[in-house]
Amino acid sequence: MSLHCENIVKAYGGKEVLQDVTLDLQPGKIYGLIGRNGAGKTTLLSILSAQNPATRGTVTLDGEPVWENRKSLAKICFSRELNANGESGIAAMKAKEYLRIASTYYEDWNKALEERLVKLFDLNVKKRFGKMNKGMLSMITIIVALCSGAPYTFLDEPVAGLDVVAREQFYKLLLEEYSNSGRTFVVSTHIIEEAADVLEEVIILHEGKVLIETDTQAFVDSAVHVSGKIEEVDAATTGLEVHHPETVGRSKGVTVFLKPGQKVDESRDVSVQPVSLQRAFVALCGEEETK
Amino acid sequence: MKRNLKFWTRYTWESSGVVLVTAAVLAVISLFGAEGLDFAVFAAIVPYYLCIAAVFIMMMLNSGSQTLYVPLLLSMGETRRNVLLGFHYYRVLIIAVTAALCALIWLLAPGEVSAIGLRSIPTILCVLLIASALGSIMGTVLVRWKWAGMVLIILLCGVAGGTVGFAGATGGFDAAQIIKIVSYLEMLPWWLMAAVPASLALDAGFQWLILRRQEVKL
Repeated sequence: MSLHCENIVKAYGGKEVLQDVTLDLQPGKIYGLIGRNGAGKTTLLSILSAQNPATRGTVTLDGEPVWENRKSLAKICFSRELNANGESGIAAMKAKEYLRIASTYYEDWNKALEERLVKLFDLNVKKRFGKMNKGMLSMITIIVALCSGAPYTFLDEPVAGLDVVAREQFYKLLLEEYSNSGRTFVVSTHIIEEAADVLEEVIILHEGKVLIETDTQAFVDSAVHVSGKIEEVDAATTGLEVHHPETVGRSKGVTVFLKPGQKVDESRDVSVQPVSLQRAFVALCGEEETK
Repeated sequence: MKRNLKFWTRYTWESSGVVLVTAAVLAVISLFGAEGLDFAVFAAIVPYYLCIAAVFIMMMLNSGSQTLYVPLLLSMGETRRNVLLGFHYYRVLIIAVTAALCALIWLLAPGEVSAIGLRSIPTILCVLLIASALGSIMGTVLVRWKWAGMVLIILLCGVAGGTVGFAGATGGFDAAQIIKIVSYLEMLPWWLMAAVPASLALDAGFQWLILRRQEVKL
């Protein structure tokens, strides 16, 4: 079973926010969907779950189209971010009602887990969304995602507004549910460093295009930070994929992405250090600002 | 589909409660203007308040469900086709419940007003169907063009306020006067009958046009 999208294009008023996105989400993995604001992460998750129509392209689950297909949609849960500001209709809804509707619609809803999480997060489900803070709304979306039992579950910024303790709890719960069920999770997040340890695969979306779709560890291992005198760094990285150059006086630092078989010329007087997922991401996607 | 029916049946049940409360409020307000209280006549006019309440509540709830429940159900993996069918099922159900309650009350409170009421059921059904379609169109307008939808809702609230005022000011129980007013509903003009399929077709077409490309926002 795999969720596949082919050449997805999404355009608003002639501007393409997703450009020919092709992805294959394998079962039993935790994917991290990372990208800058406006990269198209929420749009992509919305299209994968048929909540938004694509301008072009197809999404299939086990070879069957997802669009208007209840059988396929029953296997996908995209627990959306709740924007319960004063104007939206959902602000007047009680968390209890929202969870009840979710439990009606998701075939494998885990009621025991719902009760456990409501207690763990100390949520008052009789409260209306409009009276809840951002962290509480995130907790509700986490509960829906984890309790849905859907084989493909997407979470959009699940830890937004959560304090550090609640964020730790979330990652622990995610891993617990993952190891118990073997479900596939796609987590879109900006807090990359914290999530890095739980993400098996990473998908980097930049300006509507998939830049990277690979094993997280392999991606992190392929990147190194090289620093030293400008001429030494330039010589050591000749012919390599160099990103994010930073120059301070006569010193220079660059992030290098190595292809199989490539390596930095360490005979030069340079320092070669491993980089974190966040650093590698910034090197790839934050380049324009540093030029 | 089973889950969809379960959701919309529960929603109808909750909406029915609001209709009953609104009808009760209208009936109580009408008592303030009454000079003499003939219980049989009062009981026979309660179904009309029920219908008025159903019209307003359907128009308000239809637009509310379009802006809230339709995107909510889509976000929970329901297909657009099923959401549309469920929404129509809810409307049919609430109209059927209202008409059935009216008929039951008229059967339990026999008299001339009740007899006219029973003969008026086809007209009442037409009015309820048209109101339901208009409410749905209003909801679609609200989803797509928020300000136009708000203007329609304000107008509707104005009409609702006027009706409440009318009920309070003219709520006497002169049987002859009531018979004269409700007798108009016995007539089922061709244009009213024609307006039913026209409004339903307009509603379904308009709604599908928006729904098939609708983007979920909660």
